[in-house]
Amino acid sequence: MTIKAGKERSRLDPEPMPRRDFLGLSALFAFAGSMLFAVTGMLRLPKAAVLSSPSKKFSVTLPDSLATGEPFVPPGRSVALFRDAEGAYAISTTCTHLGCVVKASAGEFECPCHGSRFSADGSVTKGPAPQALPWLKVTASGAGLIVDEGTTVPAGSKVTV
Amino acid sequence: MSTAGSPNSAMRGFLDNLRAAPRRILDSAMRGGAPKTDRTRSTFVFGNVFLHLHSVRTHRWSLRWSTTMGLGIASTAGFLITLVTGLLLMFYYKPYPDAAYDSIKDIHFVVPTGRFIRNIHRWAANVMVIAVLLHMARAFYTAAYRKPREFNWLVGWGLLVTTLGLSFTGYLLPWDQLAYWAITIGANIAQSPREVTDALGVTQSFDPGGLQRLLLLGSDTVGEEALIRFYLLHVMILPLALVLLMAVHFWRIRKDGGIARPSDAEKRLGPSAGDTYPVFTEAPAKTYQLAAIVRGKTSAVGSGPENTVPSMPHLFYAELAVLMITVFVCVALALVSDAPLKELANPAVPENPAKAPWYFLGLQEMVSFSAFMGGMGIPTIVLIGLGLIPFLDREESGTGEWFGGAGGWPLVRTSILVGFVAALGVETFAIRFGWIREWLPSVPQLVITLINPGTVLTLIYAAYSIWLLRRHNSTRAAALGLFTCFLCGFVLLTIIGSYFRGPNWTFFWSPTDWARH
Amino acid sequence: MKKTKHLLLWSSVGVLLLLIFAAFDENMLKEWRRIQGAASAQDAPIDVGLRQVVTPGLNVSDRCVSCHIGMGAGEQGILGPGVVAPHKPIPHQPSEFGCTICHGGQGRATEKRDAHGDVRFWPAPMLPVRYSFAGCGTCHAPLHVPNLSALEKGRGAFERLDCLACHRLDGRGGTLRPGGGGMEGPNLSYTGFKGYDPLWHEKHTRHSEEAQRGPWKDSFGPVGDADRESLAVFLASRIGAPTLIEAKALFHSVGCLGCHKVSGVGGDAGPDLSRSGEKDPGQLDFTHVPGQATFSNWLAEHFRSPASTVAGSQMPILGLSEDQIELLTMYMLSLRRRELPGAYLPKDRIQATRFGAREFAIDGATIFSAFCAGCHGADGRGRRYPGTQPFPAITNPDFLSIASDAFISETVTRGRPGRKMLAWGEKDGGLRPDEVRSVVGYLRQLGGGVAQQPDPSPARWVKGDASAGKRIFAAFCAGCHGKNGEGGEGPALNNKVLLSAATDRFLVETIGKGRRATAMAGFSISSPVRPALSKGEIEALVSFIRTWEAK
Repeated sequence: MTIKAGKERSRLDPEPMPRRDFLGLSALFAFAGSMLFAVTGMLRLPKAAVLSSPSKKFSVTLPDSLATGEPFVPPGRSVALFRDAEGAYAISTTCTHLGCVVKASAGEFECPCHGSRFSADGSVTKGPAPQALPWLKVTASGAGLIVDEGTTVPAGSKVTV
Repeated sequence: MSTAGSPNSAMRGFLDNLRAAPRRILDSAMRGGAPKTDRTRSTFVFGNVFLHLHSVRTHRWSLRWSTTMGLGIASTAGFLITLVTGLLLMFYYKPYPDAAYDSIKDIHFVVPTGRFIRNIHRWAANVMVIAVLLHMARAFYTAAYRKPREFNWLVGWGLLVTTLGLSFTGYLLPWDQLAYWAITIGANIAQSPREVTDALGVTQSFDPGGLQRLLLLGSDTVGEEALIRFYLLHVMILPLALVLLMAVHFWRIRKDGGIARPSDAEKRLGPSAGDTYPVFTEAPAKTYQLAAIVRGKTSAVGSGPENTVPSMPHLFYAELAVLMITVFVCVALALVSDAPLKELANPAVPENPAKAPWYFLGLQEMVSFSAFMGGMGIPTIVLIGLGLIPFLDREESGTGEWFGGAGGWPLVRTSILVGFVAALGVETFAIRFGWIREWLPSVPQLVITLINPGTVLTLIYAAYSIWLLRRHNSTRAAALGLFTCFLCGFVLLTIIGSYFRGPNWTFFWSPTDWARH
Repeated sequence: MKKTKHLLLWSSVGVLLLLIFAAFDENMLKEWRRIQGAASAQDAPIDVGLRQVVTPGLNVSDRCVSCHIGMGAGEQGILGPGVVAPHKPIPHQPSEFGCTICHGGQGRATEKRDAHGDVRFWPAPMLPVRYSFAGCGTCHAPLHVPNLSALEKGRGAFERLDCLACHRLDGRGGTLRPGGGGMEGPNLSYTGFKGYDPLWHEKHTRHSEEAQRGPWKDSFGPVGDADRESLAVFLASRIGAPTLIEAKALFHSVGCLGCHKVSGVGGDAGPDLSRSGEKDPGQLDFTHVPGQATFSNWLAEHFRSPASTVAGSQMPILGLSEDQIELLTMYMLSLRRRELPGAYLPKDRIQATRFGAREFAIDGATIFSAFCAGCHGADGRGRRYPGTQPFPAITNPDFLSIASDAFISETVTRGRPGRKMLAWGEKDGGLRPDEVRSVVGYLRQLGGGVAQQPDPSPARWVKGDASAGKRIFAAFCAGCHGKNGEGGEGPALNNKVLLSAATDRFLVETIGKGRRATAMAGFSISSPVRPALSKGEIEALVSFIRTWEAK
């Protein structure tokens, strides 16, 4: 920006207040705005839109021979399914402490990583785990069940089969 | 350090510091103050590590659109856009043959903004190649390679080669039919010196062609070794090389005295639009301390060119404007045209016609006559010729002028005609009548290597150039003619290779005549 | 400077507007978003977002479920536009292998046309819905499929005997047991895989005898042996894809395997068809194919007129009806058996590829109609295609009465080297000895049960004048059998295998009596254009023909 040279001035002297450069300022703002919009849009890219792990919902058929209180773990899933007189239910086998897979047995769950223990209904009996194992949503579908690992239900919810 | 203060004042002092911290943090980053005076404008530029590659003041001649057309900045902008979009693509691209194609499909269909970013990347790459070529033409036609800028011309030459290398290595990454067969051809062109060594019978002991191909592919076929090499070159080695060369290139512009301008530039500029005050009104308060007295010209320190303006804001507004125009062009093209992706690469099904990227189609046209000459011989001649230009044209008249030097625009105009007509003539002959091997099937390959449309055209251009040299008694005239001829030949051959060559590289007037579809 | 500022301002504004449009386009204008927005679930609103079925072992990432929401794993009760409906009941859930394994198409795409594969550079477009069962062919190799008449016989028996009253089969029939307890009889749609009780008839009969009332007493009756055999063949073919089996049965009825190989078994005259269901429509020539440029249209037109569809094809026009073409097109589309990781190989495919189980039934009738009928005719009376030499009648009673089983077996096994009859018993992808035996037996049956008349004479007993025979041959035989016996209208007589297998009596009888209803007359009877040949002349001919044996 330049100023009128009315008299001999030194370039080291402070300049008088110039007129606002609307054109320049709006150009710079437009530039900054468009770049900001672009950067915000680009920040969306790293967040994956679709996960490559298997779906959280899956179907399963309990074997007829499953005894009351005996866990059934579908292969490849961190869920233990049970069936008793009131119906079928599913308890997550992901330890609520730091995510290890607990070992399900009739009567209790045991976590090998830091020794947490849970009773048959998932409540914590011992160990650093802060919360009970969540119960997962089960719906009946035809002859089998559909388990939804993504939805938790209050402990004690069972589905009649 | 508090000396006599009581604990109370120390505590107050601490809290005051805590309160003042945010403003002081900001101030520590902006030490010079807002760039409102020429002094603060200067410190704004040379006090910043990124900006101080620029000179503090820019000559008004350099800022004229007609001087440079902003092509250098456009090339840089193209690079920056490909850099940013390329970095984003690296989040999802997988450089292994089993996964590459699918990862590109994922980028296109499911990655948020993926299709858009990939399209921008591809268009920006093309914009960059075009800008680089136009920029080189601009630098040539304004004779900006003359003393003292010869070295910078060579650095620019290196940038041209690196840019083409970047585009070529990126071409393989989608691993589709287009990519696979284009690179198969490229690798075989790298092996084309065998055409000569075979004809001479020395391939067993001396095989530069085979070595080049092996280095390029890491194997004897285009496979996962080639892909990982091309990926490494494309995302790491070549961008680093480019950035280093760019740094040297920009630095050299400054040290060579800015953008080349004609000797009467000051006069032609005339008075500036607004009033400027002289650069130095009084003896500067600060002097440079002389460490030693050296001979020869140094960068101008003591004298002040009168026709300069502060880079901040004049140059920076211009750079930003060119950047945003380039961004606009890339984004607009990306919205309307998808980056190509054909079927998954299939070594058993050659693409027919298998075409190189567009900037190599002119070469491929010549390669269709002789692999060695078209692929290595003539490109080498052209590159060596380009590199030698500043060392063969030592004249001084016309530096910084468009079409400056002996001959001027009329010569260039005539050369455009000569360039196109000669190329058209040679191509028409070859398309209509075929070439030597069709008339004399048993002729040795070496004959065809030496006598083919590419070499014939080169000889025609060379003869014309020498004629110009003698007629105008000027190497600049010869250079103007030769460069223009090659440029036009390149354009024509690229057009023919793009639009008029179909399956088996046969000539077709229109793609609808191709047998298959 | 002002100009520069304007350039910066307007290009920045332009960029901003373009980016805003791009953001809008990506987020609002996507079809899958619109569909998910219009859909709702019974118990909870559905989450809007891309969905996919992933099977890493098969490199499957199918995003079809982003629009076809109801087909996702565990989705129930999704309401909305028709596209969100759940999948029809099928043996494999979409979540097991994804969708594209069976249906084709481009699973990674999220736009309709791209996902259905109706775009230029996708080589495997989705199968048209009416051909969906062809997708089973990606993994499965249905075994022991008979020819169509045997299949129809079995299906006819099943329907005639009213098995559908209690049993469900291919979506029809079956009754619910009154008073609860499921269906009366098990679903027989998958007996090809699951098998069934081999003692079913005994148990059914016992139930029927013991029952006091109800369907067992009133509806069941004993089933005859022939019907039980047909039923066994029929039930062995039930794999839950009835149209595909019908198509394959038709394929085994028109003699295609005589020229083409499928899964390593068949002839060499035509190309191997094992993966011909995977052709890339972008590589096909549609200039003579009417209608849409789809692969199935190309296949259908190829059946109608092979030579105009494929340049240089030697396949004759078979004269198939449009229904037959439709079925055969389905079968061709099913020939898409790709390489699979071991864990995904179905049992039938392992049986076929590793244990040599046959995909065609090995009874004589099926083998004949699958391998021989294309050249020799469905009735074995020979066939003639324009531009090729005619194929002989092999069920001709005059032939069967003098040809021994050994002769016919030898012919089938060793073929006619240098001619179109392949050595079916010796080549890779040919027939096994027991299969050759079955087809020989079937030939006799087809010819009317004609047995060979006993021949007490030794294999070589003729002692005639070969030079006289040469003259007679040139006069009477060369016109059809070629100057040097190389064949023409008639079969080649100078063929090594023919001469080594044929007895002298066979040759003498053939020349003398001829073959009824063919161009080969009986030369021991005179005709208006030539005299009868005497016994000596016939023996001279045979001696001359035998001289070709040495060469």
